[in-house]
Amino acid sequence: MYLRPTTLDQAVDALEHHRAQVLAGGTDFYPALGERLPSTPVVDITAVAELKGISVHETFFRIGGLTTWSELLAAQLPPCFDALKSAAREIGGVQIQNRGTVAGNLCNASPAADSVPPLLALDAEVELVSIGGRRGVLLADFIVGSRKTLRRADELLTAVIVPRVVENARSVFLKLGARRYLVISIAMVAIVLAVDEQRRIRDIRIAVGSCSARAQRLRELEQFLTGRPAQARLDALVMPEHVKSLSPIDDVRATAAYRSDAALILVRRALQMCAS
Amino acid sequence: MNEDHDLKRTDDPCSRVSRRGFLESVGVGMTGIAVASNLSAQDAEELTEDAEPKKLSLVINGRKHMLIVEPRTNLLYVLREKLGMTGTKPGCERGECGACTVLIDDKSRYSCLTLAFEADGHDVTTIEGLVHGEKLGVVQQAFLEKDAFQCGYCTPGQIMAAEGLLRSNHDPSDEEIREGMSGNLCRCGAYQHIFKAVRRAAELKKEEGSA
Repeated sequence: MYLRPTTLDQAVDALEHHRAQVLAGGTDFYPALGERLPSTPVVDITAVAELKGISVHETFFRIGGLTTWSELLAAQLPPCFDALKSAAREIGGVQIQNRGTVAGNLCNASPAADSVPPLLALDAEVELVSIGGRRGVLLADFIVGSRKTLRRADELLTAVIVPRVVENARSVFLKLGARRYLVISIAMVAIVLAVDEQRRIRDIRIAVGSCSARAQRLRELEQFLTGRPAQARLDALVMPEHVKSLSPIDDVRATAAYRSDAALILVRRALQMCAS
Repeated sequence: MNEDHDLKRTDDPCSRVSRRGFLESVGVGMTGIAVASNLSAQDAEELTEDAEPKKLSLVINGRKHMLIVEPRTNLLYVLREKLGMTGTKPGCERGECGACTVLIDDKSRYSCLTLAFEADGHDVTTIEGLVHGEKLGVVQQAFLEKDAFQCGYCTPGQIMAAEGLLRSNHDPSDEEIREGMSGNLCRCGAYQHIFKAVRRAAELKKEEGSA
């Protein structure tokens, strides 16, 4: 069964009544399907206009779930989104960026999803809608493991909410892959860094992806750095124990030891870029 | 077993319409009109696998085509199998290689990852749409001049990606060309020449614009 709703109400109604898979950009959906036909009903939400676009509100930014990476790249957004934009540029090639959606990347919940570290560093929240209503969940809680989220089968991820608290903070995203383009991350780091008038670190968020079942923030390192002057050689303060909370695995792309090492170096580089 | 059965059952009506539709469409660009009247009216929102295929109108290279397709059909299939426009190539069919690249509203897209229904109401441009009579489009001309292919299979997709890039960016930097072309693979490894061809195409477009 294939359904193509044109409004959000129709979409959540369809999800309520059918145990369906949601089809948005399709960049994960089709490859997973291969030569087979879908084994479950499909709700294609690409015609639901109200899920598209980015809007600015008094206390938050709202990124519609169906917003594509190209649309995000073209949007006028403050510096705290630079890391997310860098990640968007690294998601597949242009054709994938023209197609893949923010909601899809989050719901697919790959440990190597490029958008997750920058959004974690923005303290993003996801908005989930079902016929029962609307609820907000912190992204850090929403992704619970590799390809596992708190989204119920009857819910749609309608938007990502980013609080407007560190708008002019600098932000950087660094990704290590086996080549420059079209590559799945071995390790990646996103940092958002805000300073006070004395150029001391007022607020810092550091998130690492591809180095654990779900991307995670390095909270201890964040606390350790808060209040310190944002100046040259800030990177020298980062020690291997600061990335101990990561739990990288050996796989086809890299060994666990290499990933730990890469994560440490990426954190140092990103920190230096933000502080200088 | 069940899967095979399903595949056959759901593919049948489509390919039947396809062959008939194609014969009718040659030269007139109106595929499947004759079978449209056999369809019962359907809820616009609900389309099931078991139901009859549904009417769709697509604007491809400026020409309107009326089609009847199953909702799950992708644009690549419709272009090649229902409209006979075989310039667009199937490669990986999973959004990695770029051979199937077309433009939708001037943006490059993988037609294998796009449902035909999604293109309804949008302008689709394929490699066939870049030729003006016997005159090649500038990107095609540049690919010829710079010998930007070996086997040629990826070439239509490469040309469409270049066309998409140049429509949004008239004067791309080297880095922007690499980034813009990064969604297209070439197994022969003709990348150096492809890169030169895109740069040449940008020059040709500029000359064309100022002429």
